[in-house]
Amino acid sequence: MKNDNFGKKVVGLIRDNTVPLMFILICAVCIPISGFSLPYLINEIVTRMGRNIFLILALLIPIMSGMGLNFGMTLGAMAGEIALIFVSDWQIWGIPGVVLAMILSIPISVLLGAFCGKILNMAKGREMITSYILSFFMNGIYQLLVLYIMGSLIPIKHFSIKLPRGYGIRNTVSLLNMRQCLDNLLAVRVGGVKIPVLTFIIIGVLCLFIVWFRRTKLGQDMRAVGQDMGVARDAGINVERTRIISIVMSTVLAGFGMIIYLQNMGNIATYSSHSQIGMFCIAALLVGGASVDRASIGNVFLGVVLFHTMFIVAPKAGAVITGDSMIGEYFRVFVSYAVITLALIMYETKKRKHKSLVGQQLQQAQKEADAHE
Amino acid sequence: MNKRALLFRLGAVLVLIAIAACMMVIGRGHTIYLDNKTLEYEGTEYKACYRATLYGPDGEKISRLNARERGMSTNIGQSFSMTVGIIEQKDADEVMQTIALKLPYNMDGIIVNIPGYLAGLPQDAWMSEFVATPSEAELQEEAPADGEDVLAGAEF
Repeated sequence: MKNDNFGKKVVGLIRDNTVPLMFILICAVCIPISGFSLPYLINEIVTRMGRNIFLILALLIPIMSGMGLNFGMTLGAMAGEIALIFVSDWQIWGIPGVVLAMILSIPISVLLGAFCGKILNMAKGREMITSYILSFFMNGIYQLLVLYIMGSLIPIKHFSIKLPRGYGIRNTVSLLNMRQCLDNLLAVRVGGVKIPVLTFIIIGVLCLFIVWFRRTKLGQDMRAVGQDMGVARDAGINVERTRIISIVMSTVLAGFGMIIYLQNMGNIATYSSHSQIGMFCIAALLVGGASVDRASIGNVFLGVVLFHTMFIVAPKAGAVITGDSMIGEYFRVFVSYAVITLALIMYETKKRKHKSLVGQQLQQAQKEADAHE
Repeated sequence: MNKRALLFRLGAVLVLIAIAACMMVIGRGHTIYLDNKTLEYEGTEYKACYRATLYGPDGEKISRLNARERGMSTNIGQSFSMTVGIIEQKDADEVMQTIALKLPYNMDGIIVNIPGYLAGLPQDAWMSEFVATPSEAELQEEAPADGEDVLAGAEF
């Protein structure tokens, strides 16, 4: 009996953590094949953690309020990019440049987030696909702004940013004067591994904020809305407003995250930097063991480590196995999409199973009640 | 919305605007070009020195300028200070001088003529704006072409 329980527990644990276990397995196979040294791998992973964790943490709040994985975080990323283009044109360098870009991104993110939240309120139960399509729609508006309005209606001074025709922004905007300014300040080297202490402090502050926020009245409201909108409404919570606030917060944080990400990269790919960011962040979160309705800070950290280990080792492992590094490149893109699909299927299966279990219990109760009569 | 919440929000917006304004001033970047070139001002010629050595804030040598050469330094903020070691003639000793400037906010690139500055001439004589001309590559780059996939994946 005891053994049976233990076996069930193990099976349950495996079932609940299929995605992270799969990734641990892939990494365990690919790391020795790739031949990368441990210090190199750790260095790469630490750098990517500093670069991406803030962005991924931005996804936690909408999950808390039951809005699923916010593909609309791309809107925040666009806001961050627009702010950085302005800061770059105004020649504000270093950390002041990063801080100014963050402040500038806030109103843009709030506007876009409020718009996204309103739309998602009209599409309750279909938030993920709606926010995904919304990000494509907004990408069109972003391109109109960046390609035609900037430089013509919105003044852009520098020819290094502006297209030679006199309006529009170049394909690449250099952020050389603020490149890794956050990462290098207070950076510490431990055994050849550079640790961007300031970036990790900022991430730590955001983690503490999320933990604190969950305990506030608004945080509790969001959790209530996430569990059951009907019950939350009956309890006097303004469901629509709470949902909009959660999306606005996520968009603002995504804007900050994008600025941290781009200062690390040192340049903006004006027309493509933001396009896949939502997809990769969501994939990383899911790899960490999160699901559509449940995610924690631990999932973010585990996800970034596993996803990026796979990102680093897959091309090299692919090159060693097949002789073509592109196989590895395709593999990691394929895995990103596959993991999202798998997570969505698992979520839906679990939901249906739960529903049918509730139905069976109800049926049983009904039968028993009939028998008593 | 009650009055207290409104005041709190207004306060937050004002604080953010104040921080942004501070950042715009303390983070303004300038590129300073230091010229060791002969300057003619009101009929008087101020000769370039034999050699000028630029020193960084920690005393490390940044560059060494012979006569008719130009050095470059970047600076964040509105004030600039640099120590320059001047050797007037070939066998003369090096004399340390400090160049301390208030930089004009509207100029990205600033040319400072060292002999003019050291001679104590008015600012217009030794300071001018550097206007960069776009390179051939910069003139050729264009927007994404029709049909080009602007949604292509970025590095993560």
